[in-house]
Amino acid sequence: MELMDTKLKEILFYLKIWVLMSKNAFLLMLNQKKLLFLFLLGKLLRFTFFIVFLIYLVKGTNGLAGFSSNQIVFFFLTFNLVDIISQFLFREVYRFRPLLISGDFDLILIKPVNPLFRILLGGADVIDLITIPPLIIALIYLGSTFHPETGNIIFYLLLLINALLITTAFHITILGLGIITLVIDNIMWIYRDITNLGRLPVDIYRQPLKSILTFLIPIGIMFTLPVKALIGLVTFQNLILSLFLGLGLIFLSIKFWQYSLKHYTGASS
Amino acid sequence: MNKYLHIAKISFQEELVYKLNFLIMRLRNVLQIFLIFFLWDSVFSDPERVVFGYNRAKMLTYVLGLLLIRSLVLSAKVSEIFGEVSQGGLTNYLLKPLDYFKYWIARDFAFKGINILFAFLELTVLYLILKPTFYVQTNILTIIFFLISVIFAIAILFIFYFIAGSIPFWFPEAAWAINFLFMFVIVEFLSGSLFPLDILPITLQNVLSYTPFPYLIFFPLQIYLGNIAIVEIIKGFMVAGIWLIILKILMNNLWKKGLKVYGAYGH
Repeated sequence: MELMDTKLKEILFYLKIWVLMSKNAFLLMLNQKKLLFLFLLGKLLRFTFFIVFLIYLVKGTNGLAGFSSNQIVFFFLTFNLVDIISQFLFREVYRFRPLLISGDFDLILIKPVNPLFRILLGGADVIDLITIPPLIIALIYLGSTFHPETGNIIFYLLLLINALLITTAFHITILGLGIITLVIDNIMWIYRDITNLGRLPVDIYRQPLKSILTFLIPIGIMFTLPVKALIGLVTFQNLILSLFLGLGLIFLSIKFWQYSLKHYTGASS
Repeated sequence: MNKYLHIAKISFQEELVYKLNFLIMRLRNVLQIFLIFFLWDSVFSDPERVVFGYNRAKMLTYVLGLLLIRSLVLSAKVSEIFGEVSQGGLTNYLLKPLDYFKYWIARDFAFKGINILFAFLELTVLYLILKPTFYVQTNILTIIFFLISVIFAIAILFIFYFIAGSIPFWFPEAAWAINFLFMFVIVEFLSGSLFPLDILPITLQNVLSYTPFPYLIFFPLQIYLGNIAIVEIIKGFMVAGIWLIILKILMNNLWKKGLKVYGAYGH
């Protein structure tokens, strides 16, 4: 009981810090309204252009890889939800390199807060936050047209959480690689390019790329599987295996982070 | 003239100094083409299928052609002017006996040179791995028209960068956002860099044909594929030429006014 109480206190402590750090990040961005407007406009335009392209493409081809126009758009929206939530939460990862090369990471290490928590979740992005609610509304609206069973909706939600776990594991691994190699920006962009392959169901790719994107770099499990679950194409066994993979990747990424932290030299400071 | 040749040579060597950065940038280009390639590969899984007026060979040539055209047109070192104007780095060039416009032409020339070399290499590797059906244009006149259209495209994009790059004179804090909005969103989509624009409704295509964007990627590739008649090619050259003149005048005016308000912030 006492252990649970301590854990709860710790969670509340970190939640309080996260709210504080996010508030600061939001205030900083809201102070630059022109910048906020331009980035928001850019993201909305990019999103709209891609949706328009998908609609005309599937309309002209009568389906893609066996999926209908609405299903393809739903794949794209699901990809965007996971991608945007991860960018909203983990924006600070993009700012890690300057901390490393300047030696300012030392200042984070000496604070009484978990350094991984600070560099992973230390700067939530307000632009991405603004785009999340309309995206969820669009997903609910479009998803309801498939008339899914309650079980399939639960599978979909569990696999979405699993996708967020996997993306968290990737971000932690990238941070660890950043400490060892210092080329974090490039690794981050390559990760983004690879995950972009999940904007459409992995069924469109040829073998062996399809298997690579399903098992080796689990893009398929992150973005394709949730939608397939909603349509009723995923078995309970596949769901359990996917959840194990998500938890396993989180465990391994934290181990890797701890390993890389031992190799941090703070050479710049 | 000689000094600009030296600048081009130094720029070429500079790119090869940061080999890892350059290789990663190229890898990213290939990854971006992957999605588009497999998307169309899936659409044309039946080799006899014709969609939006394209057969499998022509569509896959369009997609792989993107790798080359993007390397020639969209890869632009001149994108660094956003940072130079907003952070005051421009001052270094204003004090030197060189033309800033020509300086960037020289640097871009070197950058595109090295990019196209790598693009050919990547295209060969992709061709060997993916073994796509490929459309080879053999008409010399069409190839000449294609090369002229690429020159138009390079010139239009270069001036685009100078126009967008002048906005930080007035809004220095928005430099990266402007670059993102214009170059990574508007140009990327409306140029035909993601998909051939003729899959869009005809009205939208007509509207777009009077803007400069299709002349960056879509128009050159259409000429290569032999999809447009000579009359249409000439008309396209005229529209692109008119845009080039309008954009050049706009660029000159913006830079003249911008330099008057330039505060050399940060330096």
